[in-house]
Amino acid sequence: MALVDYYPYMAALLTGAMLVTAYYVVRHKDLVYSSIALALLGSMTAAFVALLGFGLVAAFIVVVYVGAAVMFIIMSISMLGGGGPEARSEAPGILAASGILAGLAVVLAATGLFKAYAHPGAYTVTEVAQVLLSKYSPVLWVLVVALAATLLEAIAVARRGE
Amino acid sequence: MALIEKAVGEVAFAASLALVAIGVYGLTSTNNMLRMLLSLEVIFNGILLGIVAYLSFQPIMASIVAILLVAVVAAEVIVTMAILAGLYRQVRTFETTGLEEEGV
Repeated sequence: MALVDYYPYMAALLTGAMLVTAYYVVRHKDLVYSSIALALLGSMTAAFVALLGFGLVAAFIVVVYVGAAVMFIIMSISMLGGGGPEARSEAPGILAASGILAGLAVVLAATGLFKAYAHPGAYTVTEVAQVLLSKYSPVLWVLVVALAATLLEAIAVARRGE
Repeated sequence: MALIEKAVGEVAFAASLALVAIGVYGLTSTNNMLRMLLSLEVIFNGILLGIVAYLSFQPIMASIVAILLVAVVAAEVIVTMAILAGLYRQVRTFETTGLEEEGV
């Protein structure tokens, strides 16, 4: 058997690990451990995206999302603490999750989106960069301005009250 | 080969759905704002997986959308954490209940 033949099993295994990790994120008492589990979940999402044939996106997720955003969450929570014990009410959560799951599953099954995946052909980073810098350059500029504003806003909010 | 691809795609969509459901469960069952942020990130992971699988017939478009999505979410995380840090300095708690009484 070729390596490709094992892809569905690898995907199923990855899915199981992701669901356990996600449950750990939303349920663990200690928020520091929850945020570390989030980093694991992000890495596994990147692995799944790579399995789908999007290596560039997977690398971007690991570097920017896990490496910057989630690490920022981990460090912030470690410094601030979890804010003490939290009150939980399970019933609304289970109800909302069941409703969302059933609703989305019906929509996906009815529209045939479950079958929408097709393995992408070969594409290069250069092609992506060319399209991003030509066809989507306005989006890129808006994103740059938004990120700069975000950074300033975050600094201003965090320094307020000093 | 095509059957294997379809199987992987279906597993990806199922994983995406389940992640969104777990995230919604976490979001609605707690009153801790940090936990809510973590649950939102779980939802984001599910959405990202679904979008990449859905747009796979246009790989370049899928890559660009995913890259922009990750960049925006990174910014969202930074702003949210800054707001929560500022709030924590005032009220010394991350709970959503009782914020009105604190005058926030």
